[in-house]
Amino acid sequence: MKHSKKYLVMGIAAVLSLSLFSGCSSFADSENTGDEQADTAGEEVLNFGCQMYDDGSLNFALAPSSAWNAMRYGITESLFKFNDDMSTEPWLAKSYTVNDEHTEWVITLRDDICFSDGCPVTPSKVKECFEYLKEVSEGSSANAEKYLEFEAEITADDEANTLTIVTSKPYNDLPGQLAYPVMAVVDIEHTEDFMNNVIGTGPYMVNQFNGVGVGYEMAANPNYYEEVPYDKVNILFMGDASAKTMALQSGQVDLVENITNVADIQDFQENSDFTVDIATGVRCGFSWMNLEGVLSNEALRQAMIMAIDKEGICESTTIGGLYTAGISVLPSNLDYGYDELNDPYPYDPEGAKKVLDDAGIVDTDGDGIRELDGQNINLRYVSYENRLLNDFSDAHTQYLAEIGIGVTAEYGSSDDQWSKLAAGDYDLNNNNWITVGNGDPLEYLGNWYSKTTYCGYSNPEYDKLYESLQNELDPEKRKELVKEMQQIIIDDALVLVDGYYNSSMVYSNKSVGYAHIHTADYYWLTTEIVPAE
Amino acid sequence: MVRINDFLKKKQFVIFFILAVLIILAAVFAPVITQGVDPLEGSMDDALQAPCKAHIFGTDKMGRDIFTRVIYGARASLISTFGVVLLIFLIGTAVGIIAGCFGGIVDAALMRVADMMVAFPGLVLALAVAGIIGSSMKNAIIAITIVSWTKYARLARSLVLKIKDRDYVSAAIVSGARTSHIIRSYMLPNALPILIITAATDVGSMMLELAALSFLGFGAKPPTPEWGYMLNEGRGLIQSAPWMMIFPGLAIFLVVVVFNMLGDSLRDIMDPRDE
Repeated sequence: MKHSKKYLVMGIAAVLSLSLFSGCSSFADSENTGDEQADTAGEEVLNFGCQMYDDGSLNFALAPSSAWNAMRYGITESLFKFNDDMSTEPWLAKSYTVNDEHTEWVITLRDDICFSDGCPVTPSKVKECFEYLKEVSEGSSANAEKYLEFEAEITADDEANTLTIVTSKPYNDLPGQLAYPVMAVVDIEHTEDFMNNVIGTGPYMVNQFNGVGVGYEMAANPNYYEEVPYDKVNILFMGDASAKTMALQSGQVDLVENITNVADIQDFQENSDFTVDIATGVRCGFSWMNLEGVLSNEALRQAMIMAIDKEGICESTTIGGLYTAGISVLPSNLDYGYDELNDPYPYDPEGAKKVLDDAGIVDTDGDGIRELDGQNINLRYVSYENRLLNDFSDAHTQYLAEIGIGVTAEYGSSDDQWSKLAAGDYDLNNNNWITVGNGDPLEYLGNWYSKTTYCGYSNPEYDKLYESLQNELDPEKRKELVKEMQQIIIDDALVLVDGYYNSSMVYSNKSVGYAHIHTADYYWLTTEIVPAE
Repeated sequence: MVRINDFLKKKQFVIFFILAVLIILAAVFAPVITQGVDPLEGSMDDALQAPCKAHIFGTDKMGRDIFTRVIYGARASLISTFGVVLLIFLIGTAVGIIAGCFGGIVDAALMRVADMMVAFPGLVLALAVAGIIGSSMKNAIIAITIVSWTKYARLARSLVLKIKDRDYVSAAIVSGARTSHIIRSYMLPNALPILIITAATDVGSMMLELAALSFLGFGAKPPTPEWGYMLNEGRGLIQSAPWMMIFPGLAIFLVVVVFNMLGDSLRDIMDPRDE
């Protein structure tokens, strides 16, 4: 009995040891999965770690972020695309002509394009897609009418391979509108699963959706018009910047987008096994100031802008390199006269205190917080964890405390931030916007137009300029209008500008030979990411 | 006198009692220990500095001194923890004694509510409550109180039921003593030692629960120096700036160990079952 117990214990120990070893070996296997797949099957496999937006949905007609997903994963393409200077160039289109009134656009399609299911892309298929968007996107956040009015008359001529779009109002730059991811061309007829398997014309197509929070298994589109660099792409959703860093270091992924820990990026830059590609983006991080609350006081807003060292924050170890400091809501790298703008509120904490003192905003009870109308100034700062926004909000809070302005943080999800912005339920609301989403800042500048603003701002002069911009077709005059509008936003102290966000991609040199990151945020997986030789 | 000597005999209790007092003193005299450095004040120029002479625990993303924040963090952590323990002790004990004394429908109703609360995992329910009422330290205390009072209620009730049928209680009832007098003079003194021991041993776990809520964003708000929230701030930089997590983590570890050991040694001394 004694011996049998001993043997039993030894047996259990042996089984446990074996399990441990087998566990270890399976871990080792999983670590090398990518390499082995490439070696044994002769396939090139890319493991891509990225943030999941909108539950990874590809339903381009229902939400802009889903449309972005489909284009970012290399599934969909549109008639036109944005270059790195945000000008447009034909993509699925070959060329276009437009009449003098900018109301009739004749777009000639390329004749060598097929969807990933092999079905050719014809003008009728494009029209079918636009008709579908008109039917489905109305009322959703993707609302395609923002890019092409629903009244537009679309005529498809398959023989001539042209698509004619006649609009009731002139469009300054319709190609820019049609380049937006919502306007991607999808095979509506054959797509069965709009949520997770749309059929597009991009270099990759969905093999399998592995679940919300997990990712996609993608395969090369066999009908793509160019050579596709990878046979398979595994998209792995990773929300946490540290998770992305560690996954890349361990070899679990070959390429990641937008690591937001500056120190991690610096480590990768110093390591010859990795390459960091940073692109000057067209995103602007900024905090809205709600003019329907305590911030209706202009002197207070001016002092707040003067109290914050924008350059110091952007150059700090916390933010360094990922944002470029600036004074305007439009990035300095865009051609809208940034250098000619005047900054009336440069960093000057002592000057800020003086502005507040002169305006009678003083601390009478000695608690360190200034009062306005007998009440301590305590601003509600809404922010969320994305692209270092919370770090900016923390830094702003710190600088504002120095001039005696209290701030209470209300950090939550992106949904919280958005709903509070839309409801005007905030004092400061930090977010990061793409400024020229369709190649033009008109829509973005509408954020301060009295009819579409979220901050209670109303300035007849700005409104007049905005309305002129809506109808102006001359590019030079448009630039001048945009410049003037920027200056008004600066002069009226309407926003705390965080800076201009620079996108990044980091990849392992062992598995990726080259990866180009685009200025436009819509293109992640492209044929410009190629395997190492 | 005899009791004090008993305490002194218990070396473990004395050691951990001194350590606990030191922790409380550190919280009280935080401005002296940190030589007047403001835990909320920092400079972006000093952000993310590794531990050095000027900043022995390093600095955080806003350039604030982590040593100062850890010391001040003791205030937030200790006050909220003692607050929670006191609340659940008072509420739970009151409910338990009422349920035990009155019995019948009062007992059934109160205990079914308690049963409902223990049907869910504590922290998950606390997260749900904190999520509904909004994130702040006050709400985190309310959330944890809501899910934790049941333990004391059940314990107090069982202790009361044990005493309720004793002869001396019956004698008091026969002699016309009022219920409030019976509760005050017989029930409470008998139930209190065990409840106090339970409260003492709960300090560590409550501190961890509060830190967990803050870590998950349901407790302290920035820029409050609170250990759980400081862990959260350092989470994203665990590789490049590990000191942001190490020192608040160590602080939580040490304080939880000290208060757990203190609770254990207090139980060794006070538990009437050992007599």
